[in-house]
Amino acid sequence: MKSLTPTQLFISFSKIGMSGFGGVLPWARRTLVEQDKVLSSEEFSAILGICQIVPGPNIVNLAVCIGSRFAGIKGALAAVLGLTLGPICIVMLLALIYTHYSYLEAVQGILRGISAVGVGLIASTGIKMLRDELRFPAMLLVVAITVIAACYYQLGLGWVLLIASPFAWLLAQKKARKV
Amino acid sequence: MSVLLSLFLKLSAFSLVAFGGINALLPSLLELSVNQERWIDLQTFADYFAIAQAAPGPNFMTVTLIGWHVDGVLGALIATIAIAWPSSILVYHLQRLILGMHDEHQKKTIQYAAAALAVGLVLSSAWQIALQINHSYAAYTLTLLTIGIAVFTRWHPLYLIGLGAALGALGLI
Repeated sequence: MKSLTPTQLFISFSKIGMSGFGGVLPWARRTLVEQDKVLSSEEFSAILGICQIVPGPNIVNLAVCIGSRFAGIKGALAAVLGLTLGPICIVMLLALIYTHYSYLEAVQGILRGISAVGVGLIASTGIKMLRDELRFPAMLLVVAITVIAACYYQLGLGWVLLIASPFAWLLAQKKARKV
Repeated sequence: MSVLLSLFLKLSAFSLVAFGGINALLPSLLELSVNQERWIDLQTFADYFAIAQAAPGPNFMTVTLIGWHVDGVLGALIATIAIAWPSSILVYHLQRLILGMHDEHQKKTIQYAAAALAVGLVLSSAWQIALQINHSYAAYTLTLLTIGIAVFTRWHPLYLIGLGAALGALGLI
């Protein structure tokens, strides 16, 4: 395994943060596995799996895991700072522009258009993730329970998880035996 | 309670229930910041969501912008730190535990269960957020078009965001 200093981690994660449009996870894979070659594809998937189990922003979790793996707590901090500093400055700049021009009809239209696309991008991520579930179709029951509880009965997140988790756990055990 | 302290505490708690990432939690974030705490109104929330989508960087930047709305640069920093620190500490300790787990079966079970829950949460989130911020048939059509293109082609998301911006600028959405 290559070793990385906090400075190198900061630079790598800055690249990832600044190039990620519409979500940064694909860029993280491209930068760390394909370009810088600091992790193998399997290592990356295993770490990503853990980051998606744990609550919180997945990409921050990923930065913490990878940063700490190479350079301990300092590495984790360097990676998270690299990931967030540039983008934070940019969104605040955009927000500043927004406060001055949000009254314009065209600006409102642009934001409505981007919002509609943004929702579509989130939905399409969900649909792509759904494909993995098709390898063990019984698992779709968990997805259906979650969606019905959240959207149709409009239960809060805690209730949704409480209801869906036992099914998820049971089916996951079956899937782990089979796949 | 001062609004900054409340921002910090509520978002820190939020970090610990954000299963499936921030996108999966957008409806709850909207409920918290618009309806319960009244940090921001619905239209501005929708606009900040759009700005975060259009800017490079992680998609939790909607949270950063809510903080910005509450108290400028300080608010933005507090909101960003709040959303990240509890889950970061959690994952820092858990990764050693899970990567060190020798029972392959149990490891897989955890991952499969979490993945299925995440899919459900992300899809629910897209549906609920669409109901809140799409106000016309044209907007829903654009959302569906985006889903179709994103699922079946390898277009860069930036083209889709540009398309949305252009259609919006022309007054079509």
